[in-house]
Amino acid sequence: MTKPFIQIDDEIREMTDEEYADYQAIIDDNSNTTPTQ
Amino acid sequence: MATTTPNYGWDVPTSTDYVKDGATAIETLGDDIDATLWTALGGAYPGLRLVKTQTIGTAVSAVTVTSAFSATYQAYKVIVSGGSSSTIQILSLSFPSNTTGYYWSAKNLSWTGTTADYTGNNVGSFGRTGYFTPDHIHANFELVNPFLNKNTFYTATYIAAIAGGDGAYTTGALLNTNSLTSFTLTAGGGTLTGGTIAVYGYGIS
Repeated sequence: MTKPFIQIDDEIREMTDEEYADYQAIIDDNSNTTPTQ
Repeated sequence: MATTTPNYGWDVPTSTDYVKDGATAIETLGDDIDATLWTALGGAYPGLRLVKTQTIGTAVSAVTVTSAFSATYQAYKVIVSGGSSSTIQILSLSFPSNTTGYYWSAKNLSWTGTTADYTGNNVGSFGRTGYFTPDHIHANFELVNPFLNKNTFYTATYIAAIAGGDGAYTTGALLNTNSLTSFTLTAGGGTLTGGTIAVYGYGIS
């Protein structure tokens, strides 16, 4: 599975496993605050 | 015979002065200019000054800006403008290597007058930092103390700029004493393309 892309300054690359875990945790944390439209 | 400039009275040599005195004259002139600028500007790093900008690339889900915070400033303002997305979602703010300790709340008021409260209690990011649509990517937030070994304070003006949207003033704190130099904006879904992240520092000297 291709992971989402992260940009660090000018470098853009696929997230590492650790970065993807952090990313997914942030998405889950804020899932109750996302727009309903 | 040395003279002075007409407006600020900076000491400058005249054409008949000795060349051998040139180095001393340059030093004196430099000191005069330095003193005038210090007084006029209000210090070495006065007011709100641009620290750095970062252009957002194509189809990214998160953007980390490094070397944003330093000992030069204690407080910062970050504005994200321009850009676009394929979807409508929120932006969250976090700091690399700091995965817990974020406490925040937002009291939202929709364009039609409906209220809603959102909170995060020791979570992994600040929520409701910004918003993005196919038209734009927007965030406007401030941080106090990120580089210091103290709690970092966070305020954001959140604007869901769509029909049926809402606005909020988001506040929060990262309750640890880590010194932060970088931050990450994470898309709540979809991806971000284009736009600019501008980091400004509030000068105190």
